[in-house]
Amino acid sequence: MPVDLKRINGPENTVSYKLYTPSKTFKEELKCLFKSNNKRQDGRNSLEHRKMFIKTGIVSQAKGSAYLELGNTKVIVSVFDPREIPNKTDYSQKGVLYCEFKYATFSCPQRRNFQQDSEEKQNSIILKQSLEPAVCLHEFPNFQVDIYALILENDGSSLSAAVTCACVALAHASVPMYDLVTAVTMGVVDNQILMDPTLKEQQLCEVFDETDTKSDHGIIVTSFMSTHQQISQFYQTGNINLENISKSISISTDASGDIKLLIEKCIVNHVLKGANKSNEE
Amino acid sequence: MEDVLVCIPGQRLCLCDKKHISGQGTYERQGYLYSQLAGLVKIIEKEDGVQLIEVHSTQDQGLVPQQGDLVTVQITIINQQFAKCAIKCIGDTVLSRPYRGILRKEDLRATEKDKIEVYKSVRPGDIVLARVLPITEAHTYHLTTAENELGVVTAHSEGGHQMVPISWTEMQCTKTLVKQHRKVAKVLPEKPKQIVT
Amino acid sequence: MAKQYKSLHPIKYFRDYLAHDIRPDGRELTKYRPVIINANSVSTAEGSAIAKVGKTTVICGIKAELCQPKTETPTQGFLIPNLELPPLCSSKFKPGPPSDQAQVATKVIADIIENSGCINLQDLCISTEKLAWCLYADLVCLDHDGSIIDACLLALFTALKTVSLPKVEYNAELDSKNLQMDERTPFKLYNVPVSTTFAILDETVLMIDPTAEEENLCTGVVTIVIKDDELCSVLKPGGSPITEEKLVDCIKQSMERAKLLGKLIDTATQETNDEIDK
Repeated sequence: MPVDLKRINGPENTVSYKLYTPSKTFKEELKCLFKSNNKRQDGRNSLEHRKMFIKTGIVSQAKGSAYLELGNTKVIVSVFDPREIPNKTDYSQKGVLYCEFKYATFSCPQRRNFQQDSEEKQNSIILKQSLEPAVCLHEFPNFQVDIYALILENDGSSLSAAVTCACVALAHASVPMYDLVTAVTMGVVDNQILMDPTLKEQQLCEVFDETDTKSDHGIIVTSFMSTHQQISQFYQTGNINLENISKSISISTDASGDIKLLIEKCIVNHVLKGANKSNEE
Repeated sequence: MEDVLVCIPGQRLCLCDKKHISGQGTYERQGYLYSQLAGLVKIIEKEDGVQLIEVHSTQDQGLVPQQGDLVTVQITIINQQFAKCAIKCIGDTVLSRPYRGILRKEDLRATEKDKIEVYKSVRPGDIVLARVLPITEAHTYHLTTAENELGVVTAHSEGGHQMVPISWTEMQCTKTLVKQHRKVAKVLPEKPKQIVT
Repeated sequence: MAKQYKSLHPIKYFRDYLAHDIRPDGRELTKYRPVIINANSVSTAEGSAIAKVGKTTVICGIKAELCQPKTETPTQGFLIPNLELPPLCSSKFKPGPPSDQAQVATKVIADIIENSGCINLQDLCISTEKLAWCLYADLVCLDHDGSIIDACLLALFTALKTVSLPKVEYNAELDSKNLQMDERTPFKLYNVPVSTTFAILDETVLMIDPTAEEENLCTGVVTIVIKDDELCSVLKPGGSPITEEKLVDCIKQSMERAKLLGKLIDTATQETNDEIDK
C-alpha cells in the first residue's frame, strides 16, 4: 500500500476492535436468521421490503440530488450539469454517464479506505449500466453527466438503494429519461429468498458453505423500468438455481412497481413546489 | 395553481397520431407519447386541431448549445488566428457551468474577411453576442459574429472603465476617451434585454 | 434579467448589493445562517454527527481501532482527522486525490485539535508501549456552501462527544485482548473549540458566515476559533489586509456566536445521550 501523502495517515496496522469480541459461526448465525414466529430479526416477513424514505434537493450546489433511507441504509446522490468529456478528442454522437459509487469510510462495520476499492469500482459500473438504458443520451452529444453516490451508512442492499436514489436525482436534475429505474436486492441463503436483505443477511447470503454444496446462496440485484416493463440491469453472484432466479425476478419486479409509486410521489411533490415558486415570481 | 398536468419521466401522455405531435421533452414509442422529464405538460394548439405536446421542467434544464443558438460569451484568450471564449448564456437561459467556445478570425465579420485582425475585433473580458455554427467533429463550439446584430456589447478599456460604441468598428472609453477597435454589435431595439451594463 | 447580470458581471452584481448593506441571499452583513446539529446519525460509527450551517453540510463519523503506540510517544493514542471534499458536494471538485483545499482544511482542523488541548491523547492509551486506541475522525462534506471549517468543527466535536469506547482487558504477558462491550466509557473532551468565518472585501466590508459565492468573490477570509470564551486561534490565509479594529470586531462577534454554538452542541449531544439512557 503506497503512502497517501495528501491525507493524514494513522499508525500502520490498526485493527478493528470487533475482532476481539465473541463471534458466532456460520451455522449459528443461520439459525438466528429467523425468529421463532417465522419473522426476520427486524420483524419483517421474508418477502417484505423495508420502509423507504426519499427526499430531493439535498445538495444545493448540485443540479439535482436525492437522499434515500432504506431502514438504516443511507444514500446520498448528486447529479451535475453536462460537462465536456475530459481528455477526449474525437466526437461522440451520444452523451456519457460517469458514475462514482463510494462507501463513506465510517459507513460499514469495518473501516473503509478513502480510495475506491474493487467492490466500489464494480458497483460504480453496475450503477452506470442500470441507468444508461433509461437516459436519453442522444440529447447531449459529446458531454458527460456526472453522478456521484455516497453511502453514509451501509445496512445491506446499498447498491439497489443507490440505483433508485440516482434515478430520483436524475429526474430532479431534469436530465431527459425514457423511464424511471428502480432497483431491488434479493438475497438467497439456505434455499430461502429474502427480499431487501440487511447487511447481516447479505453477508450470510454471500458465504460459500463448503459443508453444504447443494443449497443455494447468492445475491440478485435487478434494476427495472416499470413503464416499459424492461430490466435495465441484472446482477447476480453466488450459486442459485434457475427456478429461484426466475422467482426472485418476478418478485422484485413487482416490488419495483411499489417503489416506483413512492418515488413518483416524491418527484411530483418537487415539481409542484417548483411550479408554485415560479408562479409566485 | 389549478389545471396543471404534472408528469414524471416515462409517463405515458397520450396516443401519438396525426392530432398529437411529440414536442420538446417528450418521445414517441410504439404509437404512444411519453414524457422525458419531470415537469408540467403544455399543450399547444396548432391549426387544423393539431396539438403539440410539450413537457417543461420547473427548474432550468441542462441546456447544451445547438446550431443556430444565440449565445452570450465572455472572451478569455485571443491570438492571431482565433479568440477563445466561455459561453455564459444560451438565449435567455443562464448556464450554471460555462462551455468553451471558439471564434475564428474569418468568422468575426462578414465583409473584408482578409483584413480581419482578431485584436481589432475583440479583447479578453469583452461580453460578446454570437451565434453557434454547425457542430463539427471538433471538440469546442465554433461561433460566429458575422452579422450586424452580433459582436461586442460590453467592453472595458485598459483603465477598467466602461466603453461606449461610437461606430460599428470603434468604442470609446467614458473616462479616458481612448478609442479602441471592436466589432460592435448593432443592438436591435426590440431586444434591449440582451445587454446589461 | 438579474440572472444574466449575475453571470456576466458577478463582481458588479455583488457590489451593487453590498452598496445597500445587504447580501445577495438577503442577509445583513452581521447576520449568520441558522445552524442545525444532529448527533449519532450513523450507527456503524462509534460516534457521528451532521452539522448544517445554512446549506453547508458536513458529516463526521468516528471509527475506533486498536493499534500499537509509537515508540516516541509510548503513552499516547491517536486521533486522525481527515476532511474529504468529494465531487458530490460541489462542481468545483473533481474525482481523484484530495484537492489542495481539502488538504489545507484537513491541516487546519488537525492544528486546531492539537493547539486547543481539547483532548488528551494519553486517555486513549490502554497499555504503555503495547496497545492504544486510534480514533479515525473522517469528515465528509455533503454540500459546500462556504464557511466549511465552521461546519467541520461543529460536526467533529459533536461526534467526539458521543464517542464511548468499550473497556479493554489487556494482558501484556500473553498479549491477549478481551473486550467488554457493555462496559463503555465516554471519551473525555476538555474543551470545545468553535469557529466563525468572515469574508473581507476591499479591507472595509466584513461579512460573517459567508456562502460559497461570497467566498469566491471576496478578497480574503478570516477564521476565528474560540474555546471557553478565550481566543484559540486566528487564521488569515493571505488575501487583502485587515485593520486591527476590524479584527477586534471579528473576534467580538465570534465570541458571541461561540456561546450559542457551544450551547447547540450541548443540546444535540444531550438529546442523544438521553435516548441512550432510556
